[in-house]
Amino acid sequence: MSAPGRKVRLATAAMLLVATTVTACGDGKDDDGKASAPKAPATIPELTKDPLTLSFVWFDWPPAQALEAFANAEYKKERPNATIKVNTVPNANWHDAMFTQFAARKTDFDIAILDSQHIGEAVTNGNILDLTDFVKNNIDVAAYNPYLLAAYGQFPQAETGKRDENASLYGLPLLGDTWTMIYRKDLIGDKPPQTWDEMISVAETCQADNPGVSGLAFHQANGSDAAAVTYNTVNGVYGGNLWDPKNRKIEGVLNDAAGQEAMDVLVNKMKPLTAKGSGNWFIDEVNAAVAQGKACIAFNWIAASGGLLDPKQSTLGTTREQILDKLGFATLPSQKTNLVPLGGMGMHVSAYSATANQAEALNFMKWFERADIQKKWAAAGGVPSRTDALESPEFLNAGPFNQVYTDSVPRMRDMWNVPEYARLVDIENTNVNAALNGAKKPKDALDDIAKEQQGVLDSSSRKGGGGL
Amino acid sequence: MASATPPAPGRSRRLSDRGLAVAFISPALLLLLAMSVFPLLWALYLSFTDYSATRGGPAHFIGFGNYTAILTSAQVHQRALTTLIYVVGAVGLQTVLGFAIAYLISRRTHGRGLLTTLFLVPMMLSPVVVGLFWRFMLDAQFGVINSMLGSLGLGQVEWLTRQRTALISLIVVDTWQWTPFIMLIALAGLTAVPKYLYEAASIDRASEWFRFRTITLPLVWPLLLIAVLFRAIEAFRLFDLVYILTNGGPGVSTETLSFHVYKVAFLGFNTGTASAYGILMVLVVIVLTQLYLRYLNKLKEG
Repeated sequence: MSAPGRKVRLATAAMLLVATTVTACGDGKDDDGKASAPKAPATIPELTKDPLTLSFVWFDWPPAQALEAFANAEYKKERPNATIKVNTVPNANWHDAMFTQFAARKTDFDIAILDSQHIGEAVTNGNILDLTDFVKNNIDVAAYNPYLLAAYGQFPQAETGKRDENASLYGLPLLGDTWTMIYRKDLIGDKPPQTWDEMISVAETCQADNPGVSGLAFHQANGSDAAAVTYNTVNGVYGGNLWDPKNRKIEGVLNDAAGQEAMDVLVNKMKPLTAKGSGNWFIDEVNAAVAQGKACIAFNWIAASGGLLDPKQSTLGTTREQILDKLGFATLPSQKTNLVPLGGMGMHVSAYSATANQAEALNFMKWFERADIQKKWAAAGGVPSRTDALESPEFLNAGPFNQVYTDSVPRMRDMWNVPEYARLVDIENTNVNAALNGAKKPKDALDDIAKEQQGVLDSSSRKGGGGL
Repeated sequence: MASATPPAPGRSRRLSDRGLAVAFISPALLLLLAMSVFPLLWALYLSFTDYSATRGGPAHFIGFGNYTAILTSAQVHQRALTTLIYVVGAVGLQTVLGFAIAYLISRRTHGRGLLTTLFLVPMMLSPVVVGLFWRFMLDAQFGVINSMLGSLGLGQVEWLTRQRTALISLIVVDTWQWTPFIMLIALAGLTAVPKYLYEAASIDRASEWFRFRTITLPLVWPLLLIAVLFRAIEAFRLFDLVYILTNGGPGVSTETLSFHVYKVAFLGFNTGTASAYGILMVLVVIVLTQLYLRYLNKLKEG
């Protein structure tokens, strides 16, 4: 019998390879591809006595370093064998860094610090543990502002935004946050503007009176959620809505009269008061402008504002006191409403972490949410979510902007907490950035956002050709 | 006296050689199959499905649905146009500059090596590093470029945040980094031109322009075209500079095809669509390269 020819052998090898490929694609899940988050044990399992590293993943900013230092100093007192490691990635890679590992069903982190909007994607994909039973047995939920607990842990989120006692919880608060208005007391006076219109007017006067100093500084960048949060904030204070969650409608809601007015205010009234070329500014650039005395009024996340008081990073004074003579921090001005953006993140246990590490993660979370530890976290520079910690002297005296956060909690509004979040925010971010930088007319940008986002929501269950 | 060992029979010796060859080649072949061929075939299979890497579940076969969606998408057409402008602009500029620099260097007798080495420095840097320091240099408020323009009495330019200047900035930065590559290949071609041709031209009192047009350019041209081919393929899949310098902005005006594929793949985890997108990009490169190579062969034959 003659040996098979070269072409036959090659064809057989190719067929085998394709067959292997096709077989490898199935992973045994149900036909809809839906997965539900695995449940965490209701009580903390026995903890290991062996040395253990509890890994977090977050983006690179001061609170990440603060968390690692704080946890290693305090948690080690109770668990000397545990070391805390906070792995950081650039903000723009944060979502990808977590979800590509989730996609591989293997993570090098035990606790993912998810943005509130990431929860839906992680829950529907079965990437994080369902903590409902654990929370019932270990956490005093009444100690929290219900909106914060819902924002950082609940899915699906209630239409009211407040926590639904019957809904499942997948995370617990780590760091609360919102925007603060930073204003130059030496340029505009001690009293911060109370309305958005007044703020624009004050910024206009300040810019005219102080050559080289721009009236406003805020986030406009194309990456992450920078420009999107800016528009959402203005949309909120001018009475707009991001969507109708009950009917999953964005088109006709976001771009209604209030939405159009907000876009007009942002692009035609606020943008001209910013520094030339600031269309790609995010957290660091806004802080730099304030620290170098280049802005009369600025907006930034509270958790990222600590560096503004560091004389080494500022030209406003050689001591913290001198800087505070010039800088004031206030809650955002109101207009038709008094809404402010919700920031911050929760802690979520990776479903792919080792059993011993999951147990340690649950123990850490229970420890972290204790009243005394929350106050210590506040004193260390963190922003707590427990009401008693928020109102404690430890927190309110720890930074000049902490009172701003406590006052802002009842005014917060979050974005859409749905599994399609990453695509929705990219659509909004690129279009708002385009409008702010003259690449698109404001009205066109808003209509495009509404149309494209509606398309994403409508097609999320459709098969094929998605994501363009 | 020990008797000499008879050589092994020819058949087993041939088998032994063959076994040795297989032993040497197998690891590399297996690695190639595992790291290149298998993922490519997998991507090809996924491109006909609605598979999502994060959502999991089995992949449903949807035929050419992903391909149709990509080819008819206005967003993809816009990114294709952006990529085309970028490729033509950057590679064109690099070719002209690279050849000009190589021509000038080739005419020098002293310091040629040092000059060549200095010109090659940008090419040695990582694109991420290049992107980061150009991002600082091009910053409208704090950047050194605007500072220099200011000292010359010229106004500030919003390099990275205006639609036209952002794309021009990308082209300029890419040109800064990759002109040396063209220069290096052109220099190799220029130094390989036989000197006797120039000597013959001198005897005939041919002008400098005549010598360049009839001797230098025709002899260097095929090599230059190969350099252009490499650069065009590289530029077609531009990602890193866009990611660092503009993030695709303002809006999506500097979003290239590669950057868009990244968004499709990792923001929505539409793995099936992203696979089809990637396969289409590979096909475009293969087809264009084939056409280009045929032209090169014709040129060689001519």
